[in-house]
Amino acid sequence: MSTNISHTPAERLRDAGLYAPGDAVLSVRDLNVRFNSENGVVHAVRGVDFDLMPGKTLGIVGESGSGKSVTSMAIMGLLPETADISGSVRYKGKELLGLSDKAMCKHRGSDIAMVFQDPLSSLTPVYTVGNQIIEALTVHNPTMSKQAKEARAVELLRMVGIPSPKDRLKAFPHEFSGGMRQRVMIAIAIANDPRVLIADEPTTALDVTIQAQVLEVLHTAQEETGAAVVMITHDLGVVAGMADDIMVMYAGKPVETGTVEDIYYNPRMPYSMGLLGAVPRVDTANKQSLVPIEGTPPNLALPVTGCSFAPRCPLASDACLHGEPEPVSVPGSEGHRAACIKTDELSGEANAHAIFQAPAKPVSKFDGVARLEREKVLELKDVKKHFPLLKGALIKRRIGTVKAVDGLSFDIREGECLSIVGESGCGKTTTLLEIMEFHPDQVGEVVIGGVSNKVATDSKTKMAMRKEMQMVFQDPTGALDPRFTVYEVLAEPLENLGMPRAAVRKRIMELMRLVGLQADHVNRFPNQFSGGQRQRIGIARALAVNPKLVVLDEPVSALDVSVQAGVINLLDQLRAELGLSYLMVAHDLSVVRHISDRVAVMYLGKIVETGDVDEVFDNPRHPYTRALLSAIPVPDPNLERTRERIILQGDLPSPLDAPKGCNFATRCPVFAALPAAKQEKCLTLEPPLASEGQQEFACFFPDGEIDADMLVVHA
Amino acid sequence: MLKYLTKRSGIYLIMIFLTTSAGYFLAVSTLKPAVLEQEKIPRPTPEQVAASFRGLGLDPDATPWERYIGWLGGIITRWDWGRSPNGAFVNAEFADRVLVSTRLFIASIILTLIIGVALGVYSAARQYKYQDRVITSYSYLVHILPAPIAYFLVQLGAISVNETVGQRIFFVTGISTPGIEPGWPAFVDLVAHYAVPTFAMTIFGWAGYQIAQRQYLLDNVNADFVRTARAKGLTRNQAIRRHALRVSFIPVAQSIAFTIPAIFTGGFFAEAIFAWPGIGLWSIQSIGLQDVNVATATLAYGSVIFAIGAILADFATTLVDPRVRVQ
Repeated sequence: MSTNISHTPAERLRDAGLYAPGDAVLSVRDLNVRFNSENGVVHAVRGVDFDLMPGKTLGIVGESGSGKSVTSMAIMGLLPETADISGSVRYKGKELLGLSDKAMCKHRGSDIAMVFQDPLSSLTPVYTVGNQIIEALTVHNPTMSKQAKEARAVELLRMVGIPSPKDRLKAFPHEFSGGMRQRVMIAIAIANDPRVLIADEPTTALDVTIQAQVLEVLHTAQEETGAAVVMITHDLGVVAGMADDIMVMYAGKPVETGTVEDIYYNPRMPYSMGLLGAVPRVDTANKQSLVPIEGTPPNLALPVTGCSFAPRCPLASDACLHGEPEPVSVPGSEGHRAACIKTDELSGEANAHAIFQAPAKPVSKFDGVARLEREKVLELKDVKKHFPLLKGALIKRRIGTVKAVDGLSFDIREGECLSIVGESGCGKTTTLLEIMEFHPDQVGEVVIGGVSNKVATDSKTKMAMRKEMQMVFQDPTGALDPRFTVYEVLAEPLENLGMPRAAVRKRIMELMRLVGLQADHVNRFPNQFSGGQRQRIGIARALAVNPKLVVLDEPVSALDVSVQAGVINLLDQLRAELGLSYLMVAHDLSVVRHISDRVAVMYLGKIVETGDVDEVFDNPRHPYTRALLSAIPVPDPNLERTRERIILQGDLPSPLDAPKGCNFATRCPVFAALPAAKQEKCLTLEPPLASEGQQEFACFFPDGEIDADMLVVHA
Repeated sequence: MLKYLTKRSGIYLIMIFLTTSAGYFLAVSTLKPAVLEQEKIPRPTPEQVAASFRGLGLDPDATPWERYIGWLGGIITRWDWGRSPNGAFVNAEFADRVLVSTRLFIASIILTLIIGVALGVYSAARQYKYQDRVITSYSYLVHILPAPIAYFLVQLGAISVNETVGQRIFFVTGISTPGIEPGWPAFVDLVAHYAVPTFAMTIFGWAGYQIAQRQYLLDNVNADFVRTARAKGLTRNQAIRRHALRVSFIPVAQSIAFTIPAIFTGGFFAEAIFAWPGIGLWSIQSIGLQDVNVATATLAYGSVIFAIGAILADFATTLVDPRVRVQ
C-alpha cells in the first residue's frame, strides 16, 4: 500500500517517480479521469493513489459509479480517446499514461492483463476458444511455433480447470456456460504470465457455486504466475479472503485504504463502516437490522465542495461541508488512511448500527404464535411443470421433457417468509410463475388464502385470489411503466378493484408514507427516482390492495449494497407491521438468511432440503446445501482465510438428462467419496424428502464425508 | 447439408407453386386481352377474337379454373408456359429475357456489394470525421434520389463525355451494335454498351450496403469482445478488423442475399432507361398488354430467384456465424 502520500498533486506525482517503493510493479499517483457529457464534465476518478507489490492482491471496493472500473480501464489504456486522463500510472517505474495505443499494446496482455465482468459478451462469438487464446500468444510472441502455441493453449485451459482441453480448443464460446467462459477469459489473461492481473467484478454475473469455482481458478492463476492482482468488486465477501490490501472508493475518490484487517476490523471512515454493516451475514443467526445508508452518491458532474459523503453521513457537521478531506494516516496503524476529519473519534468501539441509527428489529404479532397454529396463506401440493422438448420444422416430435418443476409441496403460514434458493436453472422462477398462473389445468394443487386452483374457474374467484397475493419484481426499472407517474402506478390496482377516487387518493398517500417515500412525490415519473426508491414504489404497488402474501422475485439483487440494506429493512418492517407473508426467490443466501424464517433449497426442479432457516444454515444435511452455503464468501478476512470450502465440479446439468437416481449424484461431493457399493444406491433410487425434526432433506447419506478433491482450504 | 438443401428446396417449391397459382388466378380474372383486340382495324368480331384466343389456349369463355387446369397441364406435361395473345410462345422469349437481365445486373451487383461494404467499414472506422460525413451524406442523398432521374443524369454525363471527345465512346442505350464483327471489335462494343448502365447502377446502388455495414460495425466497435481483444494487446484498429468486422457482417450477409432477387425482378427502370429488354421490363409490359401467361411466368421466375436468395442467405449466415449450424 502507498506509503508516501502528500497533500499536493505535484508532490504526489514526484513521489511516484522518486519515492514510490522501488519494487512496486504498479504505482498509481493522483489519477484523475474526466469525461465530457451533455451535463458538463463528469469527474469520474478523483485522485487515486496506490502501489501494488509483486504477488500481492489489492481489493478495490465500491458501489456502482464509484469510479473503480474507470480506474482499471485508465490503467489499461482502454478508455475512449475523449476521456481526459491525468496523473501517473507506472509499471515497474515506466510511465504508461500518455503512451500511444500502439506503444501501450506492448504492455497490455503481457505485463498487465485483465478479466472483465460479463463473460457472456466478452468473447468474440465467431471464433473458437482456442483461436482466441492463441491470438493472445501470437500478439506478444510472433516467433512462437504453431505447435508450441497450441500446446500452451491446452496447458492454459487445463490450468483453469476445463475438462478435455484439447477438444475444447475447437469449441465456440456459445458452447460454454458462463462459468466456463470466465475460465477461458482467465486463461487468456494469464497466457503471457502477466505481472499484474486486473479482475473487474469477475464473478458478479455468475451463480454462487460457479463464483466459488472461478475465485478458486483466480487463486490458482495467481499462484502459478505470481502476478499481483487488482480485484475490483462491490462484494465485500469476495475480497475478504483474497486481498492483502483494500481501497474503498466513493464518488471517484479513495476514502479509506489499508490492510484487509484494518478495513474489516477497524474501519475509520463512516462510509466503510456503513458498507460493512449493510451486508447481511450468511454465517450468523444475528437478526439485527442492517445498517442503511440513506441518500444517493453525489452527481460527479457538479464541483465537489466538501466531503462527498457528507450528505449521507449521520456524523456530518459544518466542518465536513468545507473542503474535501484528504486521506490521513490513522494513528497507531501503519499504512491505514481514511479521508475523514473525524477519524480519531471513530476508533474501535464505534458502532455502525448506532452511528447510522439502524432501526430496531421489528416484532410481528405472529412472532409469539406457534407456527402450526397460524393459518396457511399458500399451499402447494405436488405441483409439476414439465416442458416438452420438441424437434422438427413442420411436424414436431417430442424428444424429451424438461422437468422445470417436479413435484413441489410446501406451505407458507401467516407472518412468515419462505425463501427458495438454488442456482439459476433450478426452477425457482418457474415455481413463482406456476403460483401466479393459478389455473385449474395445472398439474398439482395451488391453494392461496384457502382457495384452490382446482375450483377457481370463474374470473371472480381469480380476482379474489389476486387481491390476496401480489408480486415484487427483480428489476425495479423494468417493472414500472416509464410513462406512468407514481400516482398512476399505484392507482391502477386500486381502480381495478373499483375503489372510489377519494379513497384511492387517501390510500396512495398512506402507501407512500408506508414505504418511506415523500407523499408529495406522487406526480413524478419513475426515472426521477433512484433504484432503491423505485423498488420502494414497486413494493407500494404490491401492497396497494392489502395482500396477505407478497411474492418477492430477487427483490434486492439489482440494488447497490448500501441501498439494498434500506429495502431489506423496509421489507422486515412491513412484514411485522402488516402481518404479511413473503415467498422470496433469491440467489444471495446472506439476504435469505437475514429475511427468511424458512428456506427451501431447490435442485433441478425438486426441493432437496427445507426447514427453519437457522437450522438449515447452521446444520445443513444435504450435500448440495452444504456446498451452496460453503460457496458464499463471508466479509470476515480471518474466517474466510481459514474456512474449508466445498468446490462443486461442473455446472448445473441440463434438466433434460436428469439422472435416474439422485439428481445431484453427478456433482455430489459425498457421492464421490462413497464406496462403490453405496454409490449404487444413489444411482438407482431417488431419495425421498424425509424429515428429521423440523428439517426435511432428500439424501441417503446426510452429513457424509466430503471427497477430499472437492475440499479447499487456503492456508 | 444435402438433406437440409433438399428439405428447404422442397418447402420453397411448394411456396413457388402456391404463389404462382395465386398469381395465375389473379391474372386470369383481371387481364382481359380481348379488350385490346377491339382496337384493331379492321375491328374483329367478338366471335373471331374468341376463336383466335381459343386456338392459343386463352379461351375467354372458359372459367378461371378450367384455364388453370389447362395451363398447369401444359407446364407439367410439355413444360409449355403458354402463349401470348399475339401468338408468341412464352418459352421462346423467356430465356433471352433472363439472359439480358443477368448480363445487365451481374457486374453492378458484385461491384455494389464490394464497394458498399468497403465504404461502410471505412466510414465506421472514421466515425464523425469528414470522410465519414462525406460518404454517409452521399449515401443518404442517393437514397432519396429516384432511380430514373439518377440514371438519366449518368446518361447525360456519358453523352457530354462523348461530345467533349468528339467521338462516340459510350453507348447510353442498347445491348450491342447490330452487325458488329466478332472478336476484338465485338468486345470493345460490349464494353462501350456495358459501361454506362453498370456505372450508373453501381454508384447509385451501394448506399444501402454502406449505411447498413457502417451501422452494424459501429454497434460492435465498443462491444465487450473488442475490449477483450484490445486487452490482449491488439491495437484498436486490429481489434476492430479482426473481431468486430466479422460479427458485423452477419446481418449484412443476410440482407445481400435478399436484395439480389429484388434487383433482378425489380430492375425495370434500368432496363427501360438503358433499353435492355430484360425480364423486369417484360413483366411490366405484359400487364399493359393484358398477357396472362407472360405475367405469370415472370412472377414464377421472381419466386424462384427469391427462393434461391433465401437459401443463399442461410448459407451466407452459416458461413460467417458458427453459432448457426445447418442441420
